[in-house]
Amino acid sequence: METLPLTETVLFILLSLSGQPRHGYSILKDVEKMSDGRVVLSTGTLYGALRRLLDDDWIERFEEQDTSRGRQAYRLTPQGRQNLQLEVSRMKHLTRLATLRAAKQEV
Amino acid sequence: MLRLYRSLLYLYPPIFRRQFGTEMLAVFRGVQAETTEHGIIPQGVLYVRETAGLLVGALQEHLRAVGAVRAFLPSPTRRFAMHAEFRFPKITAVLMTLILGGIILAIEKARMIQASYSQGAPLVPLETARLTFFPTVALLLVIFYAAGLVGWAVLFALRRTGVHRLADMSAQQK
Repeated sequence: METLPLTETVLFILLSLSGQPRHGYSILKDVEKMSDGRVVLSTGTLYGALRRLLDDDWIERFEEQDTSRGRQAYRLTPQGRQNLQLEVSRMKHLTRLATLRAAKQEV
Repeated sequence: MLRLYRSLLYLYPPIFRRQFGTEMLAVFRGVQAETTEHGIIPQGVLYVRETAGLLVGALQEHLRAVGAVRAFLPSPTRRFAMHAEFRFPKITAVLMTLILGGIILAIEKARMIQASYSQGAPLVPLETARLTFFPTVALLLVIFYAAGLVGWAVLFALRRTGVHRLADMSAQQK
């Protein structure tokens, strides 16, 4: 079960799906691109995370209609999107707090 | 590598394999095709990363399946029958035994070589090596299976207490 705060892997996967539905390969490449090559997921890690997110109803799986191969794709559910927003808010708060504290120490 | 990847997928529980196996293989094919253009080192990195990812992933999925008490919910037709998707596949047991045997063999071999060369002693006779190797393997296998048996016994005992009824029934019906 996924709980907040999210792991970096899960956060990147959710961010990747926040813009548009994607299939497995596309998620792998997008995560690599978003993290400037720092996070490179193996297929085992990716599908383990996807399975957990599917179980928790944070994402859903569907068959892509516009491709001849009928690949499986993934998209965020409203619950997944809400949890992603919660995590982003939590991180924003943390960043604001850290910036304030660090600024105080410099003075 | 594709053959190895396919074999490693068999380490996963059947339900996971049925759900994601084909897709994982397709994604791996794509990544492999892309990496081939970049030379041998990126390919090597990919193979190590994928192998490690599959081994860890399979272990996590099995732990999750064993840890999920709902796996022991009574089936509508047969009491105490475990759900098919959570049955420990024979191929997994065989592969785990082979992997364990390989690791033990490698350790034993390294130990023999080290012992022979570090002290300038004559090489360990083959008969002596066999005498120490097989009992070690047998002992480790006994420990390995005994630990598995204890694990199943604990889960079985938990089931008898009725704690499994607390499991998420809605998820079971999905």
